[in-house]
Amino acid sequence: MSDTRRLPGLKGFKHLKTGGPAGENLSLLVMLVLLVVVFAIASPRFLTGANLGSMGFQMPLLGLLTLAMLAPILSGGLNLAIVYTANISGLTLAWTLMQFGGPEAGIPAFILGCALAVIVGALAGAVMGGVVAYVGAHPILVSLAMMIFLRGLGEFLTRGGDISGFPDHMHTLGHGSVMGIPVPLILFAVIALGWHVLLRRTPHGFSVYMTGSNLKAAEYAGLNAKRTLVLIYTLSGVLCAIAGILMAARFSSVRVGHGEAMLLITVLACFLGGIDPFGGHGRVAPVILALVILQVLSSGLNLVGANQHLSTAVWGLFLIAVMVLRSGQIQRYIGLLSRKDT
Amino acid sequence: MTKLTGMVSALALTFGLATSASAETSMGIVVKIGGIPWFNAMEDGITRRAEELGVTAEMIGPVSADPALQVQAIEDLIAKGVDVIGVVPNDEAALEPVLQKARDAGIIVISHEGPGLENVDWNFELASAEGFGEAHAKLLSDKTPEGGTYAVYVGSLTVPLHNAWADAAIAWMAENRPDLEIVGDRYGVAENVDDSRSTALDLIAANPDLKGFLAFGSQGPIGAGRAVEERRKTGEIHVMGPFSPGQGRKMIHSGVLTGGFMWNPAQAGEVFVTLGDMLVRGETLESGMDVPGLGVIEPDADARDIITDNLLEINASTVDDLAEKGL
Repeated sequence: MSDTRRLPGLKGFKHLKTGGPAGENLSLLVMLVLLVVVFAIASPRFLTGANLGSMGFQMPLLGLLTLAMLAPILSGGLNLAIVYTANISGLTLAWTLMQFGGPEAGIPAFILGCALAVIVGALAGAVMGGVVAYVGAHPILVSLAMMIFLRGLGEFLTRGGDISGFPDHMHTLGHGSVMGIPVPLILFAVIALGWHVLLRRTPHGFSVYMTGSNLKAAEYAGLNAKRTLVLIYTLSGVLCAIAGILMAARFSSVRVGHGEAMLLITVLACFLGGIDPFGGHGRVAPVILALVILQVLSSGLNLVGANQHLSTAVWGLFLIAVMVLRSGQIQRYIGLLSRKDT
Repeated sequence: MTKLTGMVSALALTFGLATSASAETSMGIVVKIGGIPWFNAMEDGITRRAEELGVTAEMIGPVSADPALQVQAIEDLIAKGVDVIGVVPNDEAALEPVLQKARDAGIIVISHEGPGLENVDWNFELASAEGFGEAHAKLLSDKTPEGGTYAVYVGSLTVPLHNAWADAAIAWMAENRPDLEIVGDRYGVAENVDDSRSTALDLIAANPDLKGFLAFGSQGPIGAGRAVEERRKTGEIHVMGPFSPGQGRKMIHSGVLTGGFMWNPAQAGEVFVTLGDMLVRGETLESGMDVPGLGVIEPDADARDIITDNLLEINASTVDDLAEKGL
């Protein structure tokens, strides 16, 4: 990460302000490579197919939820309801499958269930987006309210118990592999690519970034910021629903509260991936790198037999380290810039 | 970057030393949550027994009681290639697919407090519902030689385990002590100290011949004990039930609480390792075998359950040791 390598890339202030995407990726990549080397030395089993496969099965769920968190953060908000939206969507799928005979339910029933789950997720998101955009309430409050509502609703409907007994083809979605690549990972890759394209290559994505940087300015510039907000929370809800479907397939059961622990980790992954907590800046690729790093840390520490609490502590340390690293970069940029101006 | 490199290499040093050769039997035991006294005691048991038997065993305690984290931990253990996976499930249904994966990979799966699990080689329990209920009933019977009445608490009327204990205790009393009669039906107050106390005060006022409380639910004995103390009935009315030794320590010593039973998490940890080692060596579990930590077993081969009664009595002589362990 020497200055000489960076200089040719510096074209102007705007480029710097967006965080130098290549640099963001590079610093995370360096960190990832370091970690992989360290764990490969510490445990001979780290670089085996079994471990890589295991990580490939584990990461997508957190990954989908993180992408669902990412878009609202880009728009300057937050979605605290992601896990419970996923749970409620999963319950919708489970309920549909139960209507078609549980374990005997066919593929059409599964597809119908998924469609209904996505609709429920989208609806939950749309309501949040609507309240954020048109009532002007703070996204933290709105999504917190939605989280409490969905949790209560789910617990009321299931009485805190779980629904299980799903058809076998769902097992393939949660635990199958195609040519050695875990199915959940393929699903995640496709969705992440779609999410990237949506955010970086479409007018809607542009308007998300603009709304996130400055809502008022975006409105004065003629963007329909309110519609953008509703749409982004709706899409976030859809991603939660997909995560909920995957969760149902992975655990063969649905219960309100499955995956609760992931909520704050998704926020961690977003910030580790260089998303601006105040909205407007950040990309999908570094967030995915951040997810891989978190997964490598978690699986690696498990492999060498470290305490689970220690691994969360290490996650926290990494976030702090990354922030320190970044602030150093920013200072250097500012230094370079002022030199250029004078 | 150098700071980061330093940190990472420090990490590598710390954990690099912790890894061991993979030739010997290795086990991983995933519990409900890490860092609480119950599972710390279990970890002690696991470590102690693993040293005795010369095997490697580690306990993984997720940072929150979320089944998703247990699934991840088990997946990591499968990747690690352990010989035995032990689990104390948070949610039985959510673990079935990943346990099936483990068994498909040729790993032996043992569970504790998971009687409904299907994808396990064996599930073991240190207390049966009948044994646990009857042990408390016998204690009550011993303390009250003359007839009278007694009251039964459960945590809540919808807690299946508490009600199973209460059923067993009431049935035993009806059969063996017809002179001691139950007051009303059972009261679902034992998860709350204040409710337990006020219900006990009412019961004491209404039933002059009340001789004892059987309180199933962690706060029941404490609340009932306080009521007995307030009414100065210590020694006349006996309170028994399972409770946290640390919480009830003083009341046991002052005689307000008679005692109760629990099972020992450290012993459960030892049993995980003992059973795992036996199964890896290809031994089969048969009726009448004497397994260290479990005693003579009567395994239920269809349900894959081993249910034993290894109760630990909480009384004036044991409560301090138990409380020291943080239980």
